[in-house]
Amino acid sequence: MKNPTKWAVPLVFVAAAALLPLAGKALPAIAGDYPLSLARSVFTYMALAVSWDMLLRSGQVSFGIAGFYGIGVYAAALSVLRAGFSPLASILFAGIIAGFIAFLLGFVILRLRAIYFSITTLALGEIFRIILHNGGEFTGGAEGVIIPRIISNNSAVLYWLSLAGVLIAIGMSAWFERSKIRFALTAIRNNELAAKSSGIGIFKYMMIAFVATSFIQGIIGGIQLQGYGVASPSDSFSGDYTLLPLAMALLGGIHSTSGPIIGAILLGVASEFLKLKIPYGHLIVYGFIIVLVILLMPQGLYGLWRNKARARRVSRIDSGQASADAAARAGASKEQPRA
Amino acid sequence: MIVKRSAILWTALGLAVVVAILFWKPTVLVYGMQRAGLYAAVAIPMALVLGIVHIVNLAHGEFMMIAAYLTYFAARLLGLDPWVSLVPVAIVMGGIGFIVYRLTIRRALKAPEINQLILTFGLGIALSQTVNLMFTSQSWKLSLPYVSASATIGETSFGVYDFVFVAAAIVLAAGLRLFLTRTRMGKAALAVGQNPRGAAIVGIDVDKTYAFVFALAIALVGAVGSIFLTKQAIFPGVGGPYTMKSFCLVAMAGVGNIPAILWGSIALGLAESAMNGVRELRNWSSIVFFVIIIATILVRSIRERKA
Repeated sequence: MKNPTKWAVPLVFVAAAALLPLAGKALPAIAGDYPLSLARSVFTYMALAVSWDMLLRSGQVSFGIAGFYGIGVYAAALSVLRAGFSPLASILFAGIIAGFIAFLLGFVILRLRAIYFSITTLALGEIFRIILHNGGEFTGGAEGVIIPRIISNNSAVLYWLSLAGVLIAIGMSAWFERSKIRFALTAIRNNELAAKSSGIGIFKYMMIAFVATSFIQGIIGGIQLQGYGVASPSDSFSGDYTLLPLAMALLGGIHSTSGPIIGAILLGVASEFLKLKIPYGHLIVYGFIIVLVILLMPQGLYGLWRNKARARRVSRIDSGQASADAAARAGASKEQPRA
Repeated sequence: MIVKRSAILWTALGLAVVVAILFWKPTVLVYGMQRAGLYAAVAIPMALVLGIVHIVNLAHGEFMMIAAYLTYFAARLLGLDPWVSLVPVAIVMGGIGFIVYRLTIRRALKAPEINQLILTFGLGIALSQTVNLMFTSQSWKLSLPYVSASATIGETSFGVYDFVFVAAAIVLAAGLRLFLTRTRMGKAALAVGQNPRGAAIVGIDVDKTYAFVFALAIALVGAVGSIFLTKQAIFPGVGGPYTMKSFCLVAMAGVGNIPAILWGSIALGLAESAMNGVRELRNWSSIVFFVIIIATILVRSIRERKA
């Protein structure tokens, strides 16, 4: 690994997440189901934030996270109810359906850019919602559907399932960052025309990013269904699922895997407390965070830290170079008398 | 010539649809036009901001919602009729627009487009959630006696009050046209919209013009908000769909093309109203608009690619 600090945040997070249930046994203060359910909610938003960022790396802002997430919730619920799928199969099915729908729509909407892309993703989410709302008996109409039983009532099992979901998202994001997909997406973001002239298959890479992110969002929907057991048009397609991940990724720092992780932990925990204190309008925090981050530190917390670290490294290399030069000069001057 | 022929064709087609609706269900036509008036009245200020400041204001509908709340409190606490408080509310909204411009939009003018997009999206959330925090998500409505005025033609009777939205749209479109072509400030704004650099070179204060245009647009949508309150219930999320609808219309019309916004609103209003007129389709009427939005965007992007 050329740059080990880059993976510090994901690795520390994964280690901490894996140890959380054990820590609960050791320390009574964080024992019980509440910390685990809080962590699950953080994981859900974290996975969505990471997936949103993966597409953002190509320069396209999606406002359709809730749409594909909702598709995932419904696909999982209906596959269990109407086709008798097992919980794990239903989660996979949710991801595949969301990815497949993204694949089909991608042929058309990936030709759009900037505001047109954003608004179309937002509109698509609404269209999904209305279709499922009006789906009659099959989709349960306005009330939605309830699945008869979830995978387990044990909160530890649900915790591991959520952690698996967020690991899929982080893993895919890391794969994006380590493979040539990263270079393709960055090139598209910086200058699409130049990328095209360099022979980058723009459509291909955008499609990979779009399908992969939708797949993750679908999977997360399927996992969330196992936690709550309900799929309904208003809850499953709630705008929160677009807004919160977006704010989290922005605060943490976009165009990275670490940024959304940091943002999700900070905002996820903070919002849980705000929700208890202010039942109406706790989302106000997210609105202001988005505005302030965009205006004051568009690179986010992780971006700030990364830039500082980079500056430090550069100065260290510079000073190292200077001392080497001095040593060489000293050596040369020592040699001179001998010659 | 080809362009003209297709324009005639479209006009003929439109007229045919209108006549067909008139014979099928006249009320659909009336309510469709009333809807169209509201949509156009909300969309025109957004077009002004997009055309001159070149910002897609995703908080547009939220500003209308804020104005409606102000009007509501003016009515409740001071006993002012919305039509009386319309002008003061518009002035206050203009002030809010100016402050918002100075604090946020101005700092993002040079930022990448996605930053501007996310910024106004965040502004919209901040506005609607502030209202949510202060007044909860309960919906409020004024009951005014004059809004239930109705007229009867032949055997069909229908509410006539909503035609005020049509009037508002026409006043806004005509007023804006006069402002942009006849006044000094308007001409300056038009010049800045066309080429900010060139305008700066000939001595126009670009920043001041942007601030004025943004504040004006917010004042206008605020006035529409006051009228909106006379008929509709308000709640913190009431503005969101109007942001979307306005964007849809503005995107459909293209930058700076106000007449096309009027035609677009008529198409959207009639389509929704026609869907509402058939019982089996009523639940689906809300999808019409989203389908139209996507279709419009696709057609536009294909057309831009060809050009």
